[in-house]
Amino acid sequence: MELENKREAKVISKNIDVFYGDKQALFGIDLEIYKNEVTALIGPSGCGKSTFLRCINRMNDVIDICKITGEIEIDNFNIYKPDVDVVRLREKVGMVFQKPNPFPKSIYDNIAYGPSIHGIAKDKNEMDQIVETSLQKAALWNEVKDRLHEPGTGLSGGQQQRLCIARAISINPEIILMDEPCSALDPIATAKIEELIDSLKTSFTIVIVTHSMSQAARVSQRTGFFHLGKLIEMGETEKIFKNPNNTMTQDYITGRFG
Amino acid sequence: MNKELRRKKRYQAEKRFQVYGIIAISLALFFVGLLVFKVFSEGTSAFSRTMIKVPITFNAEKLGITNINDNDEVENADYYTLVYEQFVKNYPYSNDEEEKQIIKLLSPDYEFEAKNYFLQNRNQLNKTVTLLFTASDDFDQLHKGNFPRDIPEERRRLSNYQLNIYDQFLKEGKIEKIFNNYLFSKGDSRDPELAGFGGAILGSLFTILICLLISFPIALSAAVYLEEFAPKNKLTDLIEININNLAAVPSIVFGLLGLGVLLNVFELPRSTALVGGITLSLMTLPRIIIPARASLKAVPPSIREGALAVGASKVQTVFHHVVPLAMPGTLSGTIIGLAQALGETAPLLLIGMVAFVVELPGSPMDPSASLPVQVYLWSESAERGFVEKTSATIMMLLGFLIVMNSLAVYARQKFEKKWN
Repeated sequence: MELENKREAKVISKNIDVFYGDKQALFGIDLEIYKNEVTALIGPSGCGKSTFLRCINRMNDVIDICKITGEIEIDNFNIYKPDVDVVRLREKVGMVFQKPNPFPKSIYDNIAYGPSIHGIAKDKNEMDQIVETSLQKAALWNEVKDRLHEPGTGLSGGQQQRLCIARAISINPEIILMDEPCSALDPIATAKIEELIDSLKTSFTIVIVTHSMSQAARVSQRTGFFHLGKLIEMGETEKIFKNPNNTMTQDYITGRFG
Repeated sequence: MNKELRRKKRYQAEKRFQVYGIIAISLALFFVGLLVFKVFSEGTSAFSRTMIKVPITFNAEKLGITNINDNDEVENADYYTLVYEQFVKNYPYSNDEEEKQIIKLLSPDYEFEAKNYFLQNRNQLNKTVTLLFTASDDFDQLHKGNFPRDIPEERRRLSNYQLNIYDQFLKEGKIEKIFNNYLFSKGDSRDPELAGFGGAILGSLFTILICLLISFPIALSAAVYLEEFAPKNKLTDLIEININNLAAVPSIVFGLLGLGVLLNVFELPRSTALVGGITLSLMTLPRIIIPARASLKAVPPSIREGALAVGASKVQTVFHHVVPLAMPGTLSGTIIGLAQALGETAPLLLIGMVAFVVELPGSPMDPSASLPVQVYLWSESAERGFVEKTSATIMMLLGFLIVMNSLAVYARQKFEKKWN
């Protein structure tokens, strides 16, 4: 841990417990996510990694029976304080979901929606500019620049997911959460998204939940291993994959369970 | 062997099931066909009207017109006697009884038909023109072939003398069938040949419009609130159950409510489309809320999450994304709810929309009939002319329903967007 202190912690989770009704889904999660890095969360299905991810932008708030205790600090500010404006929070913490979910609108409108509700663009030119840069950052511009006004749902799965990434970065967040962004995609589209994630980390802090250990190894700098609602081990990706401290991590990584 | 037998049985069961299905569909189609055939075979003749050609001389002396430019004089001239005298001349009669029988072949409106013609053609003063006069109901039905001639005279509505007149007129080419524009332009009348469902159509349109204006915004707001914002607790469960129950309440109960509250407490005008529309909107409300909620529920959560994740507030998420996506289903539910309201009779009877209204309603505040009530009213009348008009009104009502249901299908297909 001393080694890592040189890097700046963007998100600090302190003793996060999550309950769905009577069932406890997360047990005292403490972890740090560093700025401008890709942090991967791995673990078997149902281990709570997605639940934790959704705590970072308070997406769990929409689930009535979900109760969360503990603190998550973003830039040393606890987002679970009672007076926090979740709209402001989500402006800062974008999210990309497992299944591509573009709005059933044109490609242009998909990107322009976020900036327009936050009043980011002053006029049409500025909006065009935001749409273009967002799509460029998401490596989709060249493929769609001639059909910006066609429906976003008409794109291929991989393109749709990149459209969702472009949508997330259009409002210029600081953190992007990705919930198994490639699980619905073919290997070629996956490779493209992974490449994209790598290039995005210079401007954003990225947290990615993934089922694929090879993906975690390829894209992330740090990895956290979840099992049954607990964070078993967290550290440098290289260390986690080559020489984990915990035997359970070792077993999972070598494919003995999960 | 056993296996072989079982497979054979399975195929047979499949075949048998298909046969049952085909029989059921054929039966259903047969009954629908029967209904449509009956309605059309009875109703199509209502769309034509029998006219009698009569040469009329607009004799200034007889009319009592001294100055053709004097509007008052032309308006109040005696067209009744003018037409009467010239019409009975068309056939020899020997006594008053026969004279009466002759004039009874014309619809009592002849006075106004002559007047209306003359008001627009004043230059015909003292000239002779051949005018078409609407024949009486009995004459009309005789010409359409709806009255059998071979039954004894005392059981016929037309005497032998009148039949002879008909035969002679027919020979002289004095009888003509024209399109019955009265059917669309007139209100109710005691004389079948002069009755139309124009008033009923207007009444129905006003009623449905009011029903739409009241029920759609309320139902949509209720559905959005219940589905998207309301906390899930005992109270909202109770509301949901009651909405479902309300949709199953017999419509006449809503009529009683309209009578008790709208007419007696608020003292709104009786027999009007306004009250009819409000009453029907009470009935339509749950029938729109239910499909609207179903369509809201069908919007995938991924769309909501996508909007929330870019920082849209709950209200923005609902109104920018969820409601537009739920619109096709909501609209088609609304149109089908309105189509049901259009065919509703019982509540309208209770709030007095069953009155005999001759005038066309000019606004929802005027007394008026509506199409289903018109069917009810005419179906009670004995005259053969009303029988065909009843069927014609049913045709009209069915036409409206088909148009509305097609609109519902169109709305669903046109505005439906695909999502993943």
